[in-house]
Amino acid sequence: MRAQYSNLLLVDNGGFFPEDDIHLPVSGFLMDAMKLVGTDAVGLGDRDLKLGLAWLRGEIKHTGLNVVCANLYDKATKKPAVLPYVIKNVNGIKVGIIGVMSDKSDVGPARDSLYLVEPSAVVKSAVAELRKKGATVIVLLSQLGKIESEDLVTAVDGVDALIVGRNVPLIQTGRMIKNTIACYGGEQGQYVGRTIVNLGPKNKMTSGENEMFILGPEIPEKKEMADLVRAWEDGFNAMMSRKEKEQAATASLSDSTRNAPDHYLGADMCIRCHVAEGEQWKTTHHARAWATLTDRHKDSTPECISCHVVGYKQPGGYGMNSTGAVMTNVQCENCHGMGTRHDAFAAVDQKVSETACLSCHTASTSPDFNFAKFKPYIDHAHKESELPPLSSKTPMK
Amino acid sequence: MKPLGSKLLACSVAALLTWLVLAGASAPKSGASLQPTKLIILSTTDVKGKTSPCG
Repeated sequence: MRAQYSNLLLVDNGGFFPEDDIHLPVSGFLMDAMKLVGTDAVGLGDRDLKLGLAWLRGEIKHTGLNVVCANLYDKATKKPAVLPYVIKNVNGIKVGIIGVMSDKSDVGPARDSLYLVEPSAVVKSAVAELRKKGATVIVLLSQLGKIESEDLVTAVDGVDALIVGRNVPLIQTGRMIKNTIACYGGEQGQYVGRTIVNLGPKNKMTSGENEMFILGPEIPEKKEMADLVRAWEDGFNAMMSRKEKEQAATASLSDSTRNAPDHYLGADMCIRCHVAEGEQWKTTHHARAWATLTDRHKDSTPECISCHVVGYKQPGGYGMNSTGAVMTNVQCENCHGMGTRHDAFAAVDQKVSETACLSCHTASTSPDFNFAKFKPYIDHAHKESELPPLSSKTPMK
Repeated sequence: MKPLGSKLLACSVAALLTWLVLAGASAPKSGASLQPTKLIILSTTDVKGKTSPCG
């Protein structure tokens, strides 16, 4: 991009904290990484206050990141809790970047020290201040969701580019709202928005366009950063592994198979009778699913495990299995259901439906998933080796 | 940047990898301003702590 355009601004609209508490340690790492790659400004979502204001301020100080939110106030001082906006000079173009979050947000543990105000009046005031200070382009990092963000730029003049976040659907091509070009969604870092602001005299916006780009393997990784990410993930996986072992040592595994009438049995039990199906299964990607996690050191990373094992933390399944059955890989029961329900399943002619696949092959993990196209690769009537290779088309990430 | 669209492989790529791609791009030589009448804003949102795909 830098080879194509010299006037480049890099922003993150906030909401970078994880949704669950297990992954909270990643938050500081992400802020370090944002700084490392030269992020010009970072917005705030309500999740990003989960560790409190003191922690956030500490990280801002440590990283030097420009974290902006114009309508988040410190109760003690009655002043903005972080920078309301920032001005970046991009090759002589003065760009003002404002952040806002919803005044209906819960600010978490910081609720005793923070409060939010209605965003539109604050943005109107910030736009005026930025224009006075010479900003010719104004970018709004909005964590208000789609409708509120659109209403705001409809009501308040002067915002040139709007980055919309907070449960916003991905929209491939952004649109103009009055004189504002809007960029919508794309979460979990899978997409990057490219907003082009066309400039006229005095570097003022004349028109704008936006498009979202998914970042696939064709786009190369920078080795230093990839190594940094991998090192962090390996550390996290090792930490989770230690926790699992500690828990196992302090509390003996309950016999889930004894206490639950229905439970998982494992492929070895199925294959005793279904020999041919078992042999075919052994040729599939499903039979090698666990290795993809161990190879990447993600075998103790909770959100990854469930789609690479049988019955994660369910009766008789992976992590709840006292029978000694091996429950790694995607086995018979992932598609056909618990082995103890075998008689009911076999009583009528049942076929595995697409629904069984979609719990793991989601739009996020498997965006190219197509049931009709991929089913032959697991169908017991075929051996995977007899089909065209899946080649570089990885069915599951 | 060429439109990637449907050509892309099924892949969940972390925001960090987004950034590293951007950071890895080479800067223009000799300080020349390329397309000076355009400001390009690259943005991510709601990263939700994701770093890279599972496997």
